[in-house]
Amino acid sequence: MARDLSFLFPELLLASTVVLMLVAEMLRAPRLALIFGLIGLGLSTALTLPLLEADTSVFGGTYRVDLLSGWAKLILLPGTALALLMTRAEIAGQDREGSVYALLCLVTLGALMLAGGGDMMLLVLGVVLTGLGSFAMVAWPRDDAATEAAMKYLVFGAVTGSVMIYGLTFWFGGAGSTLFSELGALDGKPLIALAGLVAVLIGLGYKAALVPFQFWAPDAYDGAPVSVAAFLSVITKVAAIIAFAQVLRDLPVATGWPVVVALIAAVTMTFGYLAALVQSNVVRLLAYSSVAQAGYFMMGIVALGTSPLALPSVIVFGAAYVAMNLGAFAVIMIAGRDLDDFRGFGRARPVIGVAMVVFLLSLTGIPPLFGFVGKVLLFGAATEAGYLWLAVIGILNSVLALAVYLRIVVPMYQAGDGDAGRTEVAPPLLVVLGATALVTVLMGLFAGVFPG
Amino acid sequence: MTMLALTILAPLLAGIAALALRRAPEAIALWGIGTGFLAAMTVLAGAVAGDAAQLVLPGLPQMPLRLVASPLTAVISAMVATVAACVVVYAVGHMRSDPERPRFFGILLLFVAAMQALVLAGDWITVLAAWELIGFSSYLLIGFWHGRDGVPGAATRAFLYTRSADLGLYLGIFVLIGQAGTSEISATLAITGTPALVAGLLLLIGAMGKSAQVPLQDWLQRAMAGPTPVSALLHSATLVAAGAILLIRVAPMLPGGALLVVGLVGGVTAVVTGLIALAERDLKRLLAASTSSQYGLMLLAIGAGVPVAALLHLIAHAAIKSMLFLGAGVFQHDRNSTDMEAVAGAGRARPLVLAGFGIAALALAGIPPLAGFFSKDAVLAAALAAPGAAWLAPLALAGTVLTGAYMARALRVLWQGEAQPVSGKGMGWMSAGMAVLTALAAGLGFAFAPLEHLLEAELPPEGTAMILGLAAALSGLVLGWVIAPARLMGPVLPRAQRGFAVAGGMDGLVLRPALAIAAACERFERHLLAAQLGLVRILSLGTASRTDAADNRLYAATLDLGRLNLRLGDRAETTDTDGIDGLIFGLVDRTIAAGRRLRLLQSGLIHRELALTVMGIAVIAAVLLTVPIIS
Repeated sequence: MARDLSFLFPELLLASTVVLMLVAEMLRAPRLALIFGLIGLGLSTALTLPLLEADTSVFGGTYRVDLLSGWAKLILLPGTALALLMTRAEIAGQDREGSVYALLCLVTLGALMLAGGGDMMLLVLGVVLTGLGSFAMVAWPRDDAATEAAMKYLVFGAVTGSVMIYGLTFWFGGAGSTLFSELGALDGKPLIALAGLVAVLIGLGYKAALVPFQFWAPDAYDGAPVSVAAFLSVITKVAAIIAFAQVLRDLPVATGWPVVVALIAAVTMTFGYLAALVQSNVVRLLAYSSVAQAGYFMMGIVALGTSPLALPSVIVFGAAYVAMNLGAFAVIMIAGRDLDDFRGFGRARPVIGVAMVVFLLSLTGIPPLFGFVGKVLLFGAATEAGYLWLAVIGILNSVLALAVYLRIVVPMYQAGDGDAGRTEVAPPLLVVLGATALVTVLMGLFAGVFPG
Repeated sequence: MTMLALTILAPLLAGIAALALRRAPEAIALWGIGTGFLAAMTVLAGAVAGDAAQLVLPGLPQMPLRLVASPLTAVISAMVATVAACVVVYAVGHMRSDPERPRFFGILLLFVAAMQALVLAGDWITVLAAWELIGFSSYLLIGFWHGRDGVPGAATRAFLYTRSADLGLYLGIFVLIGQAGTSEISATLAITGTPALVAGLLLLIGAMGKSAQVPLQDWLQRAMAGPTPVSALLHSATLVAAGAILLIRVAPMLPGGALLVVGLVGGVTAVVTGLIALAERDLKRLLAASTSSQYGLMLLAIGAGVPVAALLHLIAHAAIKSMLFLGAGVFQHDRNSTDMEAVAGAGRARPLVLAGFGIAALALAGIPPLAGFFSKDAVLAAALAAPGAAWLAPLALAGTVLTGAYMARALRVLWQGEAQPVSGKGMGWMSAGMAVLTALAAGLGFAFAPLEHLLEAELPPEGTAMILGLAAALSGLVLGWVIAPARLMGPVLPRAQRGFAVAGGMDGLVLRPALAIAAACERFERHLLAAQLGLVRILSLGTASRTDAADNRLYAATLDLGRLNLRLGDRAETTDTDGIDGLIFGLVDRTIAAGRRLRLLQSGLIHRELALTVMGIAVIAAVLLTVPIIS
């Protein structure tokens, strides 16, 4: 027991931090809640470092402390800290400010459950924990758009979540255990394996906003505060992708899951970019772009078990995606939600403009930025796994991606009406922009620090 | 090692500085390009002395990024640095009145840095990265005057053409890395057999796109919409050279079958684009077509198994063609056009520029003792000695004749006609750049013997090739000068003027199908949505009408409530006029708004989307059920 708990220090610390943050909110001290959150996230990150080399599971195999969950913590915890700063910049001084901070950290705790889960119960726990906090945060502004978005998010979550739990019971019945590591017992029981697989695809596909479970994403992102949209688009998505990796790497390949995941990946990235091409609201554009990026992530999932590049590619692209997507959303908080708000923005604010170009080019996969490294690894993983056609679709889609992101870049450097970006930029946002831009630019050259 | 890094970093930093500071771009550019040039020369000196510099960065897990200055890469890097320096010096004069100079010099320097990284790359990941970067900066530079008619289209077209060919490069590299288990170029060249053939052909596709080979040649001529220094640097000596450089580097790996394909692609391009150049009515587009043709000759030499001959021609051509473009830029300045009729006689007003242009033209045609004579001899000798000589030698000779013919035609146009007065502004810088390039175009041939020695290469004997080549070059020059293209080419002329648009050209092969697919996708989506709507309506008609009715009742009730409030208000008005009045009207407004909000929630959109989701789940389940049966 004591041994098991010692592997859970980061999670335990984060849980206690959330409690402290709620206390601070009750004392009407949102700044204190923010400080608690930042310190808690920082300490949790530091506590993760010594556990990085561990490869074990605790509590009877239900929770995994391995390479994947370790790197997930290293990506998700700092990402949440950046999202906290963005939220502070957006809603400072408003009512119920501290509760949003606490919810952010609570959702991240759920995300860690997803990323480390080695058991169906924990998978459900993670899905529910991330879901409940997210609904509340989307509804936070309490206006029509936010209420409708949260409603939609909730209805989708309720339907997909219940279907997932229902389907997982089949796996439990077939394998006689809720542990993922026992899923090998499903070999030779194709229908039972199929029922659970469809359930997992639905439940996690909804979290990761894969096609055809993506409908909620644009509305939820658009209705929520921009910083919350940024958080949802990176933290819960990356957690869901890593949960996919944790579940599917134990499932026998004979069930045919790689083919289905490959098809979903291809459709998701194509649909995401095609839909993004016609958006005039930048938040919705980025929402569809992050749908497409989820498709790229799935290229790494497809290669699980057949290519040694699969896990590194997911981890590297995960880190890249968190940095560049948070950065792009941070720029939207400064410039505005509409595509017209970006007209002349690059001239009015040259430094932030360059940062935005860096984020968008990295999202496209232009070298030598971080996103390019991740995408090259993903393409390599898919090719090695024998899914050359998927890599081809991925490469073709990055042409489409360029068209999508240039729709933001081009107006940025046209002559503007002059009032773009006249407002003062909050210091926390500058910290976020600096950190994400540095990571996006530098990590491309030093991606060797990631596991290989 | 420091020098190796500086070759790339100096132009890179200068480019960023020019873009960020937005002032004194010329000084920054000259510093960056000068430092880069000195560094490249030091690296070359080191390579000559037998001390090959190498730089290893962490890069990807287990795939470090490498820069290697082997004799081959050091020579090409020095060539790139030299031409870039000359072109930047010229550009200081040429672009002096353009308000967007910082952007121009900034991107140009970034391009030079990326090009050096490509040349010096020692691993495939760096090659991919640099390849993408030169493509992207080329897009930005072609589209530099994006406000002008047709310019954005030309930039996009160039980018799409080369991007679609890049697919071959990506796949070829994945095959190589997958086979060799490492991304180091020198290690992957040990691959043999079918994988080598497949990878070689895939890389050829990438090279064909960048080096504008048939049938992907069209983008290069349209790229002439960019500023002249861009044409002189990117679209003659560096960017388009990337394809040939790639093939020169992998040549030791290519099996016989792949070599023959490379040679034939090059030979056909040399002839076809040579004809296009002869028929061209625009000076810069003529030079662009000629560039494709000359790269065709280089691919032919690679295909003949003598990559060193291709390298010699690449170096000679870089100096020659840059000079030709820079000269054409001067005439364009004078006449505000590059149309052949507009520039007729432009050379008479500038005898010195015409002399330089003429020397470069004769060098390209292959007249001794100019640089092109030696390199073209090497190419011809390689073609004659190759296993596929029966195919390659006639194509190489035809390409040589055509080279003479279109260069003679260009010279004749510039010579015959009325001289017009010209202004001398900015000519100092421009002349300096052109003078160095002319000297190189004339004298570079004498450096080829030590170069061959450095690369430890043996060229095939040149006796017959020299006589044949000289005869071909002279006959081409005479034909081009004496006979008008209309008579020379006869019925081929109109087709060549259209760029040999086979079945609508690449537009028909790439652009139109892509647009058609996009339109079909849109139609399909609309049908799908309509079908979905119909399905959902039929399925949920009952429930929907019932909810609708309930909704209406609720709405009516809220309205009634509002009316009731209103009536209460009416009565209250008699006792209290102001305060309560506003309160009540506010209440009415709020209830009506609440009703509207309820309607909004029941818009039915969620149902429809959930139905779509269910359909998606059904498809997934169906696929899952069929997969085990198929496999």
